[in-house]
Amino acid sequence: MEPNEETKTAARQLGQSLRQYNYVRSYHDAFEEIQADPEASALEKKMYDLYEALIARQQAGEILDREDTRPFYELRQQVQNHPLISKRNDMLRLAKPYLSQVADEISFLLGVDYAVLAKPQ
Amino acid sequence: MELQTNPASAPTAVKTDPLQAAQTLGNLLRQTPEYGAFLKALKAVNSDPAIQRLSTQIRAHRSALQWGHDAEGQHTAELARLELEMEDLPAVKEYHKAEEEVSLLFRAVDEIISQEAGVAFAANAQRSSCGCGG
Repeated sequence: MEPNEETKTAARQLGQSLRQYNYVRSYHDAFEEIQADPEASALEKKMYDLYEALIARQQAGEILDREDTRPFYELRQQVQNHPLISKRNDMLRLAKPYLSQVADEISFLLGVDYAVLAKPQ
Repeated sequence: MELQTNPASAPTAVKTDPLQAAQTLGNLLRQTPEYGAFLKALKAVNSDPAIQRLSTQIRAHRSALQWGHDAEGQHTAELARLELEMEDLPAVKEYHKAEEEVSLLFRAVDEIISQEAGVAFAANAQRSSCGCGG
């Protein structure tokens, strides 16, 4: 479903204006710090890889027990405690109320919840 | 797991108030045929007496189930039957079709916003429905 050009332009302008918002900017800065830190990015990648491997095993019909999932939860704890990753997640968490407020402006005009209808499946 | 968008490719900075930009976008979305069809289908569902009757019955069975009043499985069976009857109504089918189309449009719009903002907009803007602060 392709939006028309006018709608695309308005969507681009909204996205660009959100990028200027303090917490979103801080989120980007923190994101870049992680990208520049091999240890942090490798740790996070390892967690996502492990998560996907567990999901694949489950989807293949395997019943996972606590010993199977324990390495993932331990790794997730390490990821959440990493200062750079924690900073990025905090910035995103702080940005969320404002993102909700902006989405509410659209929802108010439409009379339906924009964020629910637009959320990727 | 957090939903995130790679913010690496920064577009040209434009100083616009996000709330004003959201209003402009909202007004444009209101004018789309997909939104018009969705609103029409929604109104049709809300004013259809058969749907209202079925909704009332469905709510009653769900309430009974929530209170644990289903020793013989009658509420479960009746709820399943009523939900199937509801889904089979032309107005409900039309509503689901219109909802899917407007949702596809909004998702395409959201992809543009998220790409430009460098953060997944709708996914992070959605308020928690559980009231648990998540």
